[in-house]
Amino acid sequence: MFFALLFVIWAWAVSLGSQQGFADVQVIMDGFIGKFVAIGTVSALTYHILGGIRHGIMDMGYWEELESGNTSANVVIGIWILLTLVVGVALW
Amino acid sequence: MVTNQATFKRDGIQDWVSLRATAIIIALFSFYMTYIFISTPEITYTVWQEIFSSLTMKVFTFAALVSIMLHVRIGLWQVLTDYIKPAALRAGIQYVLNLIAFAYVAVGLFVLWGV
Repeated sequence: MFFALLFVIWAWAVSLGSQQGFADVQVIMDGFIGKFVAIGTVSALTYHILGGIRHGIMDMGYWEELESGNTSANVVIGIWILLTLVVGVALW
Repeated sequence: MVTNQATFKRDGIQDWVSLRATAIIIALFSFYMTYIFISTPEITYTVWQEIFSSLTMKVFTFAALVSIMLHVRIGLWQVLTDYIKPAALRAGIQYVLNLIAFAYVAVGLFVLWGV
């Protein structure tokens, strides 16, 4: 996540810097490597946010038992895989 | 009370609250950017620049980057204290990673300045 930001912030800075930079980033994002890094980054962020929301709900006192905890963890993994697939379809 | 090096106030509650406070800002920014990517038919250079040229978006983006720096400061400390046992090595890695996190904020500031 932290190192994915290296790419994200680089791409953001270059693409906003100049017309040429924007075009360069566009070429990279259209290629396999760009898409691979993009889906990796979005997927990691999605999982992190879903896990974070689950943690927030547990902070409120829900899903703290072994059974509900396992269920919510599995649901998070399910939603994460589904959303990653959606992003993959959108990218390719 | 548990003391640590991850915050200036050095207590666990401050860490706990800061982690969640920054998480909310980062999540909202992520949702908003997702919305922009979905709702904009075609993102050209002009459109892309316009998105970040408003003062509101500059503040939002900068707040997200600062939040990332604080979030990472606490989160990576948690991970590193769990997995890297030699204190000197951990201190060195933390030093470098926090420096990179600061660089993200600095880059963000100058990029937003120029848009």
